Amino acid sequence: MKTIYHTTKFVLLFCITATTVSCDSFVEVDLPKSQLTSTAVFEDYATADAALTDIYANIRDTGILSGEGYGISNQLGNYTDELTSNENPGNTSIPFYNNALLPSNTVVAGYWNSAYNQIYAANAIIEGLQTSSSLSAEQKKQLKGEALFIRSLLHLYLVNIFGDIPYITQTDYKKNRVVTRMPSSKIYESIILDLEEAILMLPAADNLERLRPNQSAAKALMARAYLYNNSYPEASNLASAVLNQEERYLLENIDTVFLIDSKETIWQLQSGESGRNTAEASFFTFTSVPPPQVSLSYNLVNSFSDNDLRKTKWIKSVSNGTNVWYHPYKYKENNATAVSKEYSVVLRLGELYLIRAEARARQGDLIGAKEDLNKIRKRAALNDTDAISKEEILNSILQERRWELFTERGHRFFDLKRFAQLDAVLNGLKPGWNTTDKLFPIPQTELSTNPNLRPQNPGY
Amino acid sequence: MNNFSFYKDGKALYCLFFIWLSFSFSSIFAKSSDRNYTSFFQQHKVQGTVTDGTNPLPGVTIAIKNKKNNIVITDYSGQFSLSTSPFDTLVVSYMGFKTALVPIQGRSVVNIILSYDTTTLQEVKVNAGYYSVKESERTGSIARITSKDIETQPVTNVLATMQGRMAGVNIIQNTGVPGGGFDIKIRGQNSIRSEGNAPLYIIDGVPFASDPIGSNYTGTTFPNVTSPLNSINPDSIESIEILKDADATSIYGSRGANGVVLITTKKGKAGKTKFSITASTGTGTVTKFLKLMDTNQYLAMRKQAFINDGLTEYNFWDYDINGTWDQNRYTDWQKELLGGTAQITDLQGSISGGSDNTQFLFSGSYHTESTVFVGDFLYKKGGGQLNINHHSNDQKFRLTFSAGLNAQKNDQPSYDFSYDARALPPNAPALYLPNGELNWENGTWENPLRNLNTKFESATNDLVANTVLSYELLPELVLKSNLGYTNLNNKETRVIPSTIYNPAYNVSPANSVIFLNSTDRSSWIIEPQINWKKELWGGKIDFLAGATFQNQTTDRNIQTATGFSSNSLIYDLSAASITRILLNDETQYKYQAFFGRLNYNWQQRYIVNLTARRDGSSRFGPGNQFANFGAIGAAWLFSNETFFHDNSWFTFGKIRASYGTTGNDQIGDYQFLNTYTTSGVLYNGTVGLRPSRLFNPDFGWETNKKLEVAMELGFLQDRIFTTAAWYQNRSSNQLVGVPLPGTTGFTVLQSNLDATVENTGLELTLRTLNFKGSSFNWTTSLNLTFAKNKLLHFPGLESSPYNQQYRIGQPLNIELLYKYKGVNSQTGVYEFEDLNKDGKISFPDDQQTIADLNPKYYGGLQNQFSYENLTLDFLFQFVKQKNRTYPMGPAGMMSNQQARIADSWTQQGDVKPYQIATTGYNSDALTADYLYSESDASITDASFIRLKNISLTYNVPLHLKEMQCKIMLQGQNLLTFTKYDDGDPEFTSYGFLPPLKVITAGIQLTF
Repeated sequence: MKTIYHTTKFVLLFCITATTVSCDSFVEVDLPKSQLTSTAVFEDYATADAALTDIYANIRDTGILSGEGYGISNQLGNYTDELTSNENPGNTSIPFYNNALLPSNTVVAGYWNSAYNQIYAANAIIEGLQTSSSLSAEQKKQLKGEALFIRSLLHLYLVNIFGDIPYITQTDYKKNRVVTRMPSSKIYESIILDLEEAILMLPAADNLERLRPNQSAAKALMARAYLYNNSYPEASNLASAVLNQEERYLLENIDTVFLIDSKETIWQLQSGESGRNTAEASFFTFTSVPPPQVSLSYNLVNSFSDNDLRKTKWIKSVSNGTNVWYHPYKYKENNATAVSKEYSVVLRLGELYLIRAEARARQGDLIGAKEDLNKIRKRAALNDTDAISKEEILNSILQERRWELFTERGHRFFDLKRFAQLDAVLNGLKPGWNTTDKLFPIPQTELSTNPNLRPQNPGY
Repeated sequence: MNNFSFYKDGKALYCLFFIWLSFSFSSIFAKSSDRNYTSFFQQHKVQGTVTDGTNPLPGVTIAIKNKKNNIVITDYSGQFSLSTSPFDTLVVSYMGFKTALVPIQGRSVVNIILSYDTTTLQEVKVNAGYYSVKESERTGSIARITSKDIETQPVTNVLATMQGRMAGVNIIQNTGVPGGGFDIKIRGQNSIRSEGNAPLYIIDGVPFASDPIGSNYTGTTFPNVTSPLNSINPDSIESIEILKDADATSIYGSRGANGVVLITTKKGKAGKTKFSITASTGTGTVTKFLKLMDTNQYLAMRKQAFINDGLTEYNFWDYDINGTWDQNRYTDWQKELLGGTAQITDLQGSISGGSDNTQFLFSGSYHTESTVFVGDFLYKKGGGQLNINHHSNDQKFRLTFSAGLNAQKNDQPSYDFSYDARALPPNAPALYLPNGELNWENGTWENPLRNLNTKFESATNDLVANTVLSYELLPELVLKSNLGYTNLNNKETRVIPSTIYNPAYNVSPANSVIFLNSTDRSSWIIEPQINWKKELWGGKIDFLAGATFQNQTTDRNIQTATGFSSNSLIYDLSAASITRILLNDETQYKYQAFFGRLNYNWQQRYIVNLTARRDGSSRFGPGNQFANFGAIGAAWLFSNETFFHDNSWFTFGKIRASYGTTGNDQIGDYQFLNTYTTSGVLYNGTVGLRPSRLFNPDFGWETNKKLEVAMELGFLQDRIFTTAAWYQNRSSNQLVGVPLPGTTGFTVLQSNLDATVENTGLELTLRTLNFKGSSFNWTTSLNLTFAKNKLLHFPGLESSPYNQQYRIGQPLNIELLYKYKGVNSQTGVYEFEDLNKDGKISFPDDQQTIADLNPKYYGGLQNQFSYENLTLDFLFQFVKQKNRTYPMGPAGMMSNQQARIADSWTQQGDVKPYQIATTGYNSDALTADYLYSESDASITDASFIRLKNISLTYNVPLHLKEMQCKIMLQGQNLLTFTKYDDGDPEFTSYGFLPPLKVITAGIQLTF
């Protein structure tokens, strides 16, 4: 026993003396295994590329462009005349469907926050590449081009949803927390500048399954931006720049437009794990009625001519004997398959034909406009348009866009807004519609954390 | 540094202690042979019983005056026997009783009656963490409860045992579902970060991390994710001390800002081996339901809403009123879904005993608790605790070992039915079809019981082990080392099988989802210390110095899987077609400190106590890791001054004061690093990397300066004892996640904010011994806290992100609200004050009315009556506070409402308290309803007085020598007096089950 007590004595003495030898390094810790320093990320192409592609995954899964129910494909469909919501009163779709958005709406805040979070990630790539010493000039060009593309894409959606917004080009939170709202025209200038730079940097060639934006994707997006900003010659030229690459891009048969290897796709978002298909298909598809979530509005379904292939192929009906409900059927695989069959298409040729048709019509090139419009009609097994005047042609383009682009990321809302027809179309149809609903409210948290963003959009 | 080797070392260390331990036991035999030898010289044998007048007193120490090494302790029936000389005097002492000197005078049977001594409560040693201090001599603010108070409560959470019993400690129960958590604030909210206000928990000297172990993906049954504090078994606790002021907490430096909770487990006592078994069983029910509309009121509201909206036809989906559902049906959904009775059973057993040198206690417990929900759900908790104390014959070497192992298994619906119970239309269809299957009523409703299939299951194992070795190197110089180890693992799953959907939807198991969370946390701590005591200049000096090395690693793994071929395979990840890892991380927290204490006590009149600590934490970036903290405390026991000596009614008087600094490092690990984190999300076969956070390397400690002045007075042998303490804590350099606008890419940034939060308060306690007789006793204790929280200083608040959250001069816990005016008698819509006169109700200018949701005062009143073998103990808890009414959404939609909403506006000229009902088309009414919920009209008085605990114990008078039997009836939350209308006033989160009313009956056998 004695020896044990003696040992204890020495152990204790040792402990005490050990402490007098201070060791500051004790509180140094290693990096957690799931984290990598920002500098290290940009010294290796694989990690830098993983940082970039994660933004696509993020865009696919959260915020405005997501194909999930909270994305605009559903919510702007509810907001306009595309969809009918059958959700319970507490569901997040209901304020959209009733056009009763409040500044506190969490989905609206989600659009804002995730878009700027994705923009932050893009800006972090651009800044990280500047200091990187290991990546080749070629690698840097490609990554930066894609980051610029992402930045302009998100700002384009933001400006169309919220009106005047800040255009964020840096990661410094000290600056970004006090930003002010820029007029839309300035936002479009910045979008165009970013896309011009992106076009210079992005490769012209295709990449596998068109999962990464290339030069044509940037041009297609730029054509849309010019159209939205009423710059018609530019919109028309950029659309042509893509449409003319006939060896690469072609209008597909109505059945194959949304398949993975569609020649019509310019850029699509990959679905994640292999075998996964689109979030759109799993959200919109229903097999039992009444549909638990949303169905296509009768107003939309009844507007198609009966022989329109888009009505027969892109819409599916489910009946309980007395009533019939319809759901979008562009994407057909609502479950995982052995090999993925469909990805979510963001930019496709169909839209570009309609962009050029509209740009041409607005410039007075009515023949060219009808030519483009009829390409789309023909694919849907419709006769050539009988519109004659500019006014008629523009109206049939608006109508055609409704049929061609329904539930594809809010086109209908942006189109009605551009054609100044929101009130005319929605007033009778939607009891909750107000003129001021053309802009979403700026999230309340945003106005309280950055007073420079005040005042709130009108009507909220 | 390689963590794994530390882990192994920890294990090796414990092996070593067990070996020591076995050696230690051998000394028992060594000692007893010693004793036989010495007893040879003693001639006279004395035996007898020690009682308090009625009951035998076990564990009483009987020594012989002026003789060492001949101490005995009474057995469970109060009996003792010893050998000594017939002319010696016995010194009989027992905690809480006056020490008696009993001359033997040649007798061989000496029966002794001890009388209670309230004054000796001042002699109780209070645990102050690194040292202990006599109650009368403490300079700091320490609140305490002991096993006596804990054992009367039928609760399973350690925080529940303290509710209403301690001044300055505000505890709120989050949910009535077993396995849920509690919120605790000691002396108010110091940190602007709501998650940065947890106190430091220490169990037998080992820090116990209270950071959540669950995950939002799995723990959806509760408003907060799983807390590790549920692991602590209240029945194994001997005492809980809460350290509050600077004098008591500065020695804990950076972790002491929010107070320290010291938990001491029960220890064995020398004497005959004692067995004790306690069994109890009981029930739990909801305390109070909301008053909701019945079918008539509800349908009237709905029909009126259609009229109000100018709609003449019901839509096909308006099942409740278009004839699809039976309009004569009425179901009280609260009763149906939450009206069950939770069954509670509890079993405790212990064995304790030992020799003079070595004592042990081994205890075990098992507890089960079901829920008030429909369906079979069960919370199970069991564990064991071992404590061993040993000292060498020369008393120089001492060893204390304690280890507690607790296991919990919880099986709950992953969904709290409280929301459905309040929102479902009262004429919603029946839950089941006559054949026992769930009724989906042709797809017209979502049967709430579908959620019975979505299950939350958790299993938690938790080990806390600790060894304290000490050696008296020189007289009055003691070396000591505290070695601790904790290991906790928690596995949780939540499944959402396809069976939660209406079978008509044909949702296949391919859509079934499982979420899994596993957390493994282990830590070790080494705290070498040196303690030196000396009589000096007519007083006593006590010096302590030590160091802390602590390492904690946490491994977390969160996964999800979907795409099953069958729901019976849902727990088998390999059967899923898609599995995803959402988080797989290992984090490390390292902490190092040096601390010291210098105490000088001059003639038990003047006491000065200095404490200091230098802390280093891995949670801060290089250059910001170390900081110093310190405090000074002083006390003047003026009742020990000569001029009070002859005073017979004034027995104790003390003034004490303290000032010092503490810190707070609760910011999470690695926040200072600029990193990318794997997102766990695939794009084209690549797992993404995502920026972890906005990068700020420069944040440092939050500091909290604490000042306290207190007075303690005792009258009439301390039969009346009162304390009054005033404190002021100022917390600055606020370490917060500053909310940022989303344009920064994130909504929060870690940084120090130059703001100061002040907590001031007055804490009063009063303990009176109202009546003391031979068979009847009555004691009362009262604690009362007036607390105020105030944001003192915040440069640039106007332009800061907090400008719509805080106001200088106001508490942190305020709500900025619209000012409610009433219902417009013309439009029927709620109206609000247009403060900025711009003609509309706008944010933020019109949302400026302040409501303070902090309790104004709170406390508890406890009474204990004992008459012969019967003891009645009850505690009233009271809180003066405001809270929000329960929000039910706009009236008129397909969701039930409070019955009072029936009194709503219907036509022009109506003067009604509630606005026009709408089916959702009246956007003015919808907006107004939202504004109403953000207005002062939604704030109401939620004060309450509650019979928190009542316990009736009957000591069955058995005529068995060695056996004692107690019968106990205990109740929790039995009565609540409140003006609050919307259910139980004690809640923090909407849509979750409030605390339950619990009644148990039990029996305890000791032999």
